Amino acid sequence: MGIYLQLLIDGILLGGLYTLVATGISLSYGVIRVINFAHGEFIMLGAYAAFWAVTLSGLDPLLMLPAIIVGGGLFGYALQRLFIQRILNAPHVNQILLTFGFSLILQNIAAILWTGDLRSAPSVVSYSVTELGPLMVPHSRLVAFTVAVVLVIGMLAWLKWSELGRATRAVAQNHRAALLMGINIHLIYAICFGISASLGAAAGSLMSFLVTISPWMGFPLVVKSFAVVALGGLGSVLGTIVGGFVLGLSETAVSFFIPGGSGWAEGVSFVFLIAILVFRPRGIFGLAVEEDAR
Amino acid sequence: MKKIALFAALAMGLALALAYPTQTSAQGVVKIGAPLELTGKFTAYGQAGKRGIDMALDTFGHTAAGMKVEVKFVDIQSNAQTTVSGITELVEKDNVGFMIGPIASGVVSWATPPWRQKKPVWIVTGSSSTRNEEELGKEPRFFHPYPWDYDYHQSLAAALKHALGAGKKVAIVYSDGAYGRAHLPHAKQIFGKEGFTIVLEELVREGAADYSPALLKVRQARPDILLGLVQTSDGILLAKQVKANNLKVPYLVGTVYAALDEWQKATGEAGDGWVSVTTYLPGLKRPANPTYSKLLPSSADWEAAFRKRYNREPEFLDPLNYVATIGLLMAIERAGSANPDQVAAELEKLDEPTFYGRMHYVHSGGTLHQAFSEVIVIQRQKGASVVIYPQDVAQGSLISSSP
Repeated sequence: MGIYLQLLIDGILLGGLYTLVATGISLSYGVIRVINFAHGEFIMLGAYAAFWAVTLSGLDPLLMLPAIIVGGGLFGYALQRLFIQRILNAPHVNQILLTFGFSLILQNIAAILWTGDLRSAPSVVSYSVTELGPLMVPHSRLVAFTVAVVLVIGMLAWLKWSELGRATRAVAQNHRAALLMGINIHLIYAICFGISASLGAAAGSLMSFLVTISPWMGFPLVVKSFAVVALGGLGSVLGTIVGGFVLGLSETAVSFFIPGGSGWAEGVSFVFLIAILVFRPRGIFGLAVEEDAR
Repeated sequence: MKKIALFAALAMGLALALAYPTQTSAQGVVKIGAPLELTGKFTAYGQAGKRGIDMALDTFGHTAAGMKVEVKFVDIQSNAQTTVSGITELVEKDNVGFMIGPIASGVVSWATPPWRQKKPVWIVTGSSSTRNEEELGKEPRFFHPYPWDYDYHQSLAAALKHALGAGKKVAIVYSDGAYGRAHLPHAKQIFGKEGFTIVLEELVREGAADYSPALLKVRQARPDILLGLVQTSDGILLAKQVKANNLKVPYLVGTVYAALDEWQKATGEAGDGWVSVTTYLPGLKRPANPTYSKLLPSSADWEAAFRKRYNREPEFLDPLNYVATIGLLMAIERAGSANPDQVAAELEKLDEPTFYGRMHYVHSGGTLHQAFSEVIVIQRQKGASVVIYPQDVAQGSLISSSP
């Protein structure tokens, strides 16, 4: 029984992180209809920001989290205003090429500025653990999970109850109608892209003490996030939350129960991706392959 | 008559130029390719390789056998596509006669097919995977101045047996790439032969973000020793998650990654207690070569020069690449030409004491040209690397990381 509970804990903690990583992608697609391949690099930049905060000032990555969220948001806002805005009406392939190009540029800038050395940002919670009988709950993962949940709930609350959030939902549902209602849709696009980037940077900051930091750390995460988003339904934040936890629990279970399963677990996301595209292209909750409503 | 003589001389010169192999030497230039992992996940290897090669060139003087030595560094970015295109360019377009690098096992396996196109003399200053030994060991132009994985495991098993006695239980975590899969059979065979019991073999994915389920299986197996057959980036994650999950395994053992400065910095306190192999550790007192003391100084003098030049401590790949490059340049000098076969013959004859060990390529059974097979076993203790084996150079004893 202890083993099953431990696997459940591990799976949920992993799922929380996947959710945070994927929510940013879901938001930017749901509102702006741009599939952002550079999202992994927002994560990477967040992780480096945490690393340099630790290295230069000795501050814990968790203390730096608010500043990193704000910095990530401003960076995303500026990126949208300067570049993404210009290709909103371009074919999807142009948008994909642009964000993929950003991804490569940001990776290389990071490699030039900070070298490709593998790094890590220690936190006070890095190696502490709570033991509940046979169960182990690493504080690093618990804190990362908790912060991830708080951020995602905060974003949902903003979407539901704030005026800007309601305007955002209106734009997501029908941007022409929103425009006719006097909503500044370009401002909403930029704000959403900024929030998406800030969620990515927050995820990177949390991952800075969990995994290894390198200029190339983002891309594998973003690929997995696409599976999460497709599983839940492209554009559906609620679906993304469900997708993140389904993937986290499935990977953990496959790793443990199938012989050599850790090797297979990384493929679980792609099995989901293929299955969902073939059997339910809309995803569990979402809009998946609907035509662009813009 | 003068015109006829002039034409005859020109024709003879042209004939000689065409008849002589042009693979390396164009107008008195020796071309050496250095395809290295300067960026990407194996950047620590590639950067160390470049430091060693650069320092060797400057020390040797950029000329050999009266020819200018040109080294072309190519960043193969630690990925397959760039490795193949980079080496194809070196071999086909630049027509290099000699190559030093790459270093990581997987990258060397990617580099092998393009190298086969013209087979320049190839010095691989790394790659412990015996998959590459099977593929390249019998090639007459392949030189391997680095231990194979069985050399690692023989030393690790001997060190652990010496400290703990036989009969201890070992759990192995190995990665699914060329590295982990190649190491696994030798680790099992050698540890088994030394009297250890393998209680778990657990596969993990290269580049995975979570090892918790694998570590849960390790916890269930209750081993005395955890042996991690992974490479540096995965080794960092493994050490961090072992610590974060409070895995109470008394002895944590890696391959070579725990000897790398990059791993030590990234793991911090999680790296304490890890046992590792290395081929070199700063502070080992080895004398200068009596004949070539400028090229091959004492370890203390070389380390001082390295620190002055790079403002950092050398890692094991720094002196290896230095010594291997010096060896190649000495062989070119002795051959008196840049003909790869003549230089390969001189490399075979090379037998020089160096601060890194004896530079002597011998037929080791699986490899025609093998040098520097000896490894030392270290353990990270209170943030420092302590030699624990062999006994004659040991600075301390093996201690449990989970008392």
